[in-house]
Amino acid sequence: MTFFNNYIYGSNEYLGRLYLIVSSLITFGLITLYSISSDPLSINSSFMRQLIFIIFSLFVFFILNQINVKTIHDNSTLIYIISFLLCFVPFFLTPVENTYRWIDFGFFYIQPGEYLKCATIILIAKYLSNHQLEVKEGYIVFIPILIALLSSFLVLNQPDLGTAVIIFAPVLPMMLWAGVNGFTLFLLIAPVITIIAASNNMFFNIWGVLMFIIFMTFQGSLLKRVLIYFANIFTGLLFPFFWNDFLNGYQRQRFIDFLNPDLDPMGSSYHIIQSITAIGSGGMFGKGWGQGSQTQLKFLPVQESDFILSVIAEEFGFFGITVIMFLFFMLIKTLLDIAFKSSDYFSSLVIIGLTSILFSHIFVNSAMTIGLMPVKGLPTPFVSAGGSFMLLCFIILSLVSNLSKN
Amino acid sequence: MLKIENKADIFHYRTLLFVLVLSILTLLSRYFYLQVIEHERYSSKSQVNSVRAQATYAPRGLILDRNGVVLVENYPTYILTVTPHELDNKEAQFQIISDITDIPIDELSRRYKKYNQGRFLPTVIAKNLTFAEISQIEERRLELSGFQYKRFDERLYNDILKDAHFLGYLRELDRESIPFLDKSQLYRAGELIGWQGLEKQYETELRYSKGIEYIEVDTFGREINTINDNNIPAYPGKNLTLSIDSKLQQFSKNLLFNQKGVILVSNVDTGDILSMVSIPSYNLDIYRGETTDSDWSNLLSDEDKPIINRNIAGLYPPGSSFKIITAFNLIEYGLLDPEDSLMCTGSYIPPGSSNTFNCWNEDGHGLVDLNKAIAQSCNVYFYETVQLIKLSDWTKTAKIFGFQNKTDIDLPNELIGQIPDKEFFINTYGRWGWSERGVLLNLTLGQGDILVTPLQSLRYINHIASKGKTAKLKLNANKKVEYYDDIILSDQTWDRVIKGLYDVVNAEGGSGWRAKQSEVKLYGKTSTAENPHGEPHAWFNGFFDFEGQTYSLVILVENGGGGGAVASPIAGEIVRFFTNEQVEMVYK
Repeated sequence: MTFFNNYIYGSNEYLGRLYLIVSSLITFGLITLYSISSDPLSINSSFMRQLIFIIFSLFVFFILNQINVKTIHDNSTLIYIISFLLCFVPFFLTPVENTYRWIDFGFFYIQPGEYLKCATIILIAKYLSNHQLEVKEGYIVFIPILIALLSSFLVLNQPDLGTAVIIFAPVLPMMLWAGVNGFTLFLLIAPVITIIAASNNMFFNIWGVLMFIIFMTFQGSLLKRVLIYFANIFTGLLFPFFWNDFLNGYQRQRFIDFLNPDLDPMGSSYHIIQSITAIGSGGMFGKGWGQGSQTQLKFLPVQESDFILSVIAEEFGFFGITVIMFLFFMLIKTLLDIAFKSSDYFSSLVIIGLTSILFSHIFVNSAMTIGLMPVKGLPTPFVSAGGSFMLLCFIILSLVSNLSKN
Repeated sequence: MLKIENKADIFHYRTLLFVLVLSILTLLSRYFYLQVIEHERYSSKSQVNSVRAQATYAPRGLILDRNGVVLVENYPTYILTVTPHELDNKEAQFQIISDITDIPIDELSRRYKKYNQGRFLPTVIAKNLTFAEISQIEERRLELSGFQYKRFDERLYNDILKDAHFLGYLRELDRESIPFLDKSQLYRAGELIGWQGLEKQYETELRYSKGIEYIEVDTFGREINTINDNNIPAYPGKNLTLSIDSKLQQFSKNLLFNQKGVILVSNVDTGDILSMVSIPSYNLDIYRGETTDSDWSNLLSDEDKPIINRNIAGLYPPGSSFKIITAFNLIEYGLLDPEDSLMCTGSYIPPGSSNTFNCWNEDGHGLVDLNKAIAQSCNVYFYETVQLIKLSDWTKTAKIFGFQNKTDIDLPNELIGQIPDKEFFINTYGRWGWSERGVLLNLTLGQGDILVTPLQSLRYINHIASKGKTAKLKLNANKKVEYYDDIILSDQTWDRVIKGLYDVVNAEGGSGWRAKQSEVKLYGKTSTAENPHGEPHAWFNGFFDFEGQTYSLVILVENGGGGGAVASPIAGEIVRFFTNEQVEMVYK
C-alpha cells in the first residue's frame, strides 16, 4: 500500500497533483478517440491502440522510476550519445513515408528524434549546473546552443523540421532559469525575430525602433551595442533579398519540399478551413459526444493526433476547450512548481527543459488547429493518439517524478 | 544529494508563469472568438452547407504496341456508391437497388461491409450499371437518399491480345491493402489498381493523378454549389508504348496451334521483346465486371495452369541447349582442342560404371569434333568431355549466362529457376548419394535438376548472339536500353560456338535443319527435354540478322516431342514473318 501511495500521492504534494492532471488529460483523450473511431473496440481502432500504448507506457514508467537521479546525472553524456546514435538507425532502414524518422517495431513506430530531445536537455542541464559560477558571463550560452544545434541538425536531415525546431524550445527557458543575463538572451532571439519581421515593412520598422531602444537600455560598450544592432538590421534587410533573388523558384521549392516532405498534396489550407469550421460550429457547449459531423467527415486526415483538439472543440464546445486548456495550464504550472521547489539544481534545470518541450507541443498544436500557425505534425501531450509520443510523455513524467524525489 | 543546491529565482519562476498564462489566454481568446463570437457563422456553415471534397478522376494511360495499335484502353461504365450516414432505411433501400440491378441483397451487404471507409464517405456497391438501370435509379431518387452513381472507367482489351498475360490486370482495392501503398497517390478503397503484369509494373506511370473538387452539399448530401477556388484538376495517366509487335504476337500465337508452349521474339540490340506468347491463356476480360466464384475456381484449378505466364513463371528443363554451357567451358579454359575428334558409337559407359548412357542417335555419330557435336547434338561427345570440367566451374558458367537469376524484365513475379550446385546435391541426395561425375552427365544435357524459364533462355541466346555485351530484356519501348554485366570470353570461344549454332540449322545433318531459310542466316540450337509429365518438351533457341538488326527467338512446345522436328519448323515460320514482303514494312 505504501508503494501505491507513493505513486498516487507522490513523495510530495505536487507529484500527486501532477498525476491527477495527467490522468484527466488521458481520460479526456480516450473519450475523444472513442467518439471518432468507427469501430472503437476493434484492435486496430485508434482508441484501442491508444489504450494499449498507455498500458505499455505505464509499464515503462514504473521501470524508469526505479532509476536514481545521480545515475542520470553521471551518465548524461552517455545517454546523449546513445540517443544520438539511435537517430542514425532509420537511415539504414527502409524510409517510412519518404523520411528517415521512424524505427518500425511492427505494431508501432518509434521516433528516436523524440528521445534525443530529452537527452539534449539532460546534457545541457548538466553543463549549466556544473558551470553555475560562470552564468553571468555571456560565453556560457555557446555550449548549450552547440549541443542543441548538433541534435537539431541531425534531426533536420531525417528530415523533421518540427522536431528540429522543438529541440531549441528548452534552450532559452533553461538559460533564463540558470540565470544567464537578459541582454545575452535578447541577443539570441533578436536575429530570429528580425528575419521573421523582414517579411513585412511595417513590422520591420517597429521592430527596428523597439530593438534600438532595448539595445540602448542595456549596459556595456556602446560601440559593441551599435555594431550588434546594425548586424541585426542588415540580416533582416538581406534575408528577403537572399530568399527572393539569390535562390530561384525551383531552389526555394526544393528547400520547402526538403523541410516538408509530408506536406499534404491536397493543400494544408483546406485542413485549416475544416478545422476552424469544426471548432467554430462547436459553440459554447459543443454538439455532443460522437455528434461532431464536421470532424467525423474524415476530411482531416490526422484528426486522431494532429487535429484532436478540433474534435474536442466541436463535440464539447468552448466549455470543453476551457477545461482542457485549464488542465494544460495546471500541468505546466505544477511542473514549474516542482522545478522551483526542487532541492537540486540539476534536477530543477532538467524539469524546466522537459516542461518547455511539453508546453511547446501544446502551444504549437493548439495554435495550428485555430490557424495561428502553419500545419506541422506535432501531437498534443497525453491527448493525441500515437505510440512514440505517448511513450515520450511517460518518460518525461517518470524523469520528473525521479528528479523531484530529493 | 547532488553537489549543487537549487537556487531558482522567484523572478524567473514568475517570468515563465507569465509566458504560460499569456500563451494560454491567447489560445483561449482565439477559441472564444471562433466558438462564441463567430459561432453563428460557422454553425450555419456546418449545418446548412458543408464542404465536401470529392475526388475527380481522369483516364488511366493506354497501352500501345510498337506501331501504335491500342492494346488496352478505357471503357466507361457506371458505378453505384452509397454514403452510410445518409441512408434512411438500409434494408428497404438495398431491396430497391437489388430489384433494379438483379444483384442479390446479400452481395450488396457484403460489398457494403468490405469497402466501407467510414460513415461519411461513399462506398462502391455496384458496378457496370446499364443506362436503363441508371434511369430507374434516377426515377426513384427520393427513396434512395445516400445513393449516387458516377462514371468509372474499366479496362478494355484489344480483341487480338486479350489473352496476353504480360498486360496484367487491375483489381479493386480493399481497405487492408491501402496502408502498404504509396500515400502520395491517394488510393481509396474500391478504386482500381494495377495488380499484375505491366499494369502493376507501370502503375505509377499509367495511373491518373487524382484531382480534388470542393462542393457544397446540404444536409441531405445534395450538391448545392461547386467551389472553384481550390480545385485541383485530375490529369490522365501516361500512355505506355510496348516493344511488342501485335501482328507478330498474333502470328506466333497461331503457330502453336493450341499446343501448350511459349514463343518469344526479341531484338538483341535493344532488348526489346517483340512477341511474348504463353499458351494456354485465358481472357483478361474476366477481371472486368463481376465474375462468378465458380468461373474463378475453374480457372484457378485448371491443370494446364492458364493463369500463369509461362515465359517468366514456367520452369522447364532446358535440354541440349545446355551443351553450349559445356562447350564454353571446354574452349575458354583450353580443356581440349576443339578440332580433336572422338568416336560416338551410340552409347557411353562412364569409367568404373556399369550403366550405359545412350546417344539419341543409337547408330552413333561416328567421329565427332566439337562443331559437329553441337550441330548434331551428340550426347556421347558431351558425356565424355564434361568429365574434364569441375562441377563448380560448370554451374558458375551457367549462372554467368543469367540462369538462377532474374532477367530484370519489367514484369512482376519473375521466377529464377534452379541451377543445382554442390550444396543443392548434398541437401537433396545426402553427402554420399551422388557423385560429381554422375550429375555432370545429366547437367551437360540440360536435364536432371536444372530448371529455367523461357525468358532466361532468351537472355542466354541473346548473350551468345551479342558475344557477351547484351541489352536487358524489356517490354516498354521507351525504357532506356540498359545492359547486363558483360560476359568476357575470348573471340575464339564465341566464334566456335556461333559456328556450331550456324551448323545446327545450315549444315548437313544439323538437328535444326527444318528451320533453315534461304534469305537470312539463322543460328540456333534445338533441345529435346525429357520430363516426368509425358512427351519431351521441344525447344528451339536461335538468332538471326535481318536488315542490320539481330533478332532472337525461343520456341518451346510443352510435351511436343523433338526439338528438331517440332520447334524448328516454328522458328522457320517466325523468320519468314520477317522476310515476308508485306510485313517487312513494319520494321522500317
